[in-house]
Amino acid sequence: MSAHILKLKVNGREYQALVSANHTLAQVLRENLGLTGTKQGCQVGDCGSCTVLLDGEPVNSCLVLGVQAESREVLTIEGLAEGNKLHPLQDSFVRAGAIQCGFCSPGMILSAKALLERKPSPGLDDIRQGLAGNLCRCTGYQKIVEAVMQASHRMSGEASS
Amino acid sequence: MLLPSFTYHRPGGLAEALAMLDGFGGQAKLLAGGTDLLVNMKHGKQAPAQLIDLDGLAELKASGSRGDALELGAGLKAAAIAGGLGGAAPQALAQGAGALGSPQVRNRASLGGNLVTARPAADMCVPLLALGARVALVSPAGERQVDLPEFFLGPGLTALHPSEVLTRVLLAKPRPGEGSGYGKLGLRKALEIPLVNVAAWLALEADGKTIKEARVALGAAAPTPMLSPGAAKALAGATAGDDAFAAAAFAAAADARPIDDHRGSAEYRRDMVAALTKRCLGQALAQARGN
Repeated sequence: MSAHILKLKVNGREYQALVSANHTLAQVLRENLGLTGTKQGCQVGDCGSCTVLLDGEPVNSCLVLGVQAESREVLTIEGLAEGNKLHPLQDSFVRAGAIQCGFCSPGMILSAKALLERKPSPGLDDIRQGLAGNLCRCTGYQKIVEAVMQASHRMSGEASS
Repeated sequence: MLLPSFTYHRPGGLAEALAMLDGFGGQAKLLAGGTDLLVNMKHGKQAPAQLIDLDGLAELKASGSRGDALELGAGLKAAAIAGGLGGAAPQALAQGAGALGSPQVRNRASLGGNLVTARPAADMCVPLLALGARVALVSPAGERQVDLPEFFLGPGLTALHPSEVLTRVLLAKPRPGEGSGYGKLGLRKALEIPLVNVAAWLALEADGKTIKEARVALGAAAPTPMLSPGAAKALAGATAGDDAFAAAAFAAAADARPIDDHRGSAEYRRDMVAALTKRCLGQALAQARGN
């Protein structure tokens, strides 16, 4: 067993933590940093509820060791809103009825954010493929796909205005 | 679901990683993307005392060409290969990488990891077999290169020695008049292990009609990804098109040795081997003809 001093940037802020080698990034975020917005579902990379952006790319934080995030940048759901102003994706999820129990929402929204950064005006298939690694057992996905579509329209509108 | 205890090592380069691996004498496992190893560790199937993290090694992430050969670093992520590596990745390999897991898994899973895990239906193993790839295995004693048919020995079993690291995949650079294609049948459209998967590669003669050489690889059809000798024989010298492809599909289904399991019956798998073989050859031909 080894313990390591981990330095990483989460949501723009530098953190330092003493972590056990066998703790995943999801555990470090929740237990060491108190960022419990990242949910742990299946814990083996199937459900996507622990999705965070690691240097901008969506990953299952249950399958990344905390120590592997050394000197890297992580974005969690806590990093999206600016003060009391929700990110357009968060707002669209609320308005479209894409949030029911809410357990999948942080991971869903972060996967959607990565998709929209790569593809600001996605088609329905792009959205479904972009969210293929995130399971939702409540909504049937339709409202989630609609929410991402609405957010893409709003974000591209904001970008051009 | 917690990971068992281990000591974590982050070597600064391949030479240091090899020295560590040698020094731990079988107590260590190599960590690449972690999408297989960490899952197995959580399920209690593996509990290495030492983990050597290769993920940060830039020297394993390079891709480039050397003469007629294309060399792909074993640390390349499935997402990068699915993106085509700037046009360098053969079509069937990019398709296979893009069909692997989910976006989150593809951002972590590595080329080398997919090969050494050696599942019979692995999404990158089957295309690489059709593309005639070989792998470079490096140990403190030096490097050896092994053709993929000799590399896969059984489910999860390969010719990789405990002191070796798979560093690169080597294959011929795609040329005009050649094409490849990949097809995967699963019970769902994403995050799925194939029920059957097939990859095909073919090269046309200068006339643009006659098949000079072809390879058809089958996944989930045997204990390892396998080449179909019958399909290759049926295609060589034949005129590319539906008749030749139907004969190749029949031969591939005859070569397949699938099993009945909870995912599907052997009979169904055999039929689907034939269907996917035709489809993949069609894709390969379209690419070979440049459309």
